[in-house]
Amino acid sequence: MNVRIRFFAQFGELLGTDIIAESSSGVALDSLIKEVASKNKEGYDAIFDEHGSFREFVIIMRNGKRLDMADAKKVRVADGDEIAVFPPVAGG
Amino acid sequence: MLFGEEGQERLKKSTIVIAGAGGLGSPVALYLAAAGVGTIKIVDNDLVEQSNLNRQILHNDRDIGKKKVDSAAEKLQSINPDISVWAIHTTIDTITATSLVGNADGIVDAMDNFATRYLLNDVAITIKIPLFHGAIRGFYGQATTIIPKKSACLRCIFPKAPPQEVFPVIGVTPGVIGAVQATEVIKYLLNIGGLLTNRLFIWDGMQASAEEIHVERDPHCEACGTKKGMRRKRT
Ligand SMILES: [Zn+2]
Repeated sequence: MNVRIRFFAQFGELLGTDIIAESSSGVALDSLIKEVASKNKEGYDAIFDEHGSFREFVIIMRNGKRLDMADAKKVRVADGDEIAVFPPVAGG
Repeated sequence: MLFGEEGQERLKKSTIVIAGAGGLGSPVALYLAAAGVGTIKIVDNDLVEQSNLNRQILHNDRDIGKKKVDSAAEKLQSINPDISVWAIHTTIDTITATSLVGNADGIVDAMDNFATRYLLNDVAITIKIPLFHGAIRGFYGQATTIIPKKSACLRCIFPKAPPQEVFPVIGVTPGVIGAVQATEVIKYLLNIGGLLTNRLFIWDGMQASAEEIHVERDPHCEACGTKKGMRRKRT
């Protein structure tokens, strides 16, 4: 099955902006993003901390709905899902 | 005319606080002054430096060393002598925030850090006026409009601040986001159009692409939540 992952802003620069990931069904959302992000260490480190958890400011959307970060480990991806990974910015 | 004399009159009677006279504050202030927003209170604690000039288009080379708010007030007054501009050279903190905002109709978030943004968010909620959020980094930017108790607040959307850093910036990005914020202010004051409430506008100048993320109020939000006592521990 295919899941579309979109990385925004600096995440996209490091990992590509639009990725179709093939995975077996029932994979946890955080494992899938980890797998895709692991091709670039800087990109991976921007999204995950040293324990492999999402950094607390990262925003994840699944099919247009914001995920509570506490649920990211529990959520299983399904065929056709679209996941957006977005880093808020802070400058002015 | 887009909104007639009545609309123009309404803008003239309005007071907007612009928190920050830097990259975002510059275009926001210029457009609101040009549009005829009657009272603009611009707040910043900084002096103009050479390195600001690539993006902070309110300030010129000859302003280096001046207070940013004084430099700003000078330009805004020359664009529109009919408005009243308050140059407030101070740090926005828990002690000054509420009195700075006073009886304003709205607050524009043109800050460069989330600590002050959260403070402005709290003030906006307490005195029930909108907060027009904008932030940038390099070619990327985001904006949203917060109507307290009606739409997602800054903490609902960003419960945790992005890391503090020396952020790279190119002047055109605050130009884009600042123009979005100024548009929101004008629409709000005139009660027209559809506001960026419960929507996070995100701009990628590198790809020339704009997106929006739907956001919702978090009932457990520590700033505006209705279930504060039951707030889950976020790790
Ligand atoms: Zn909130």
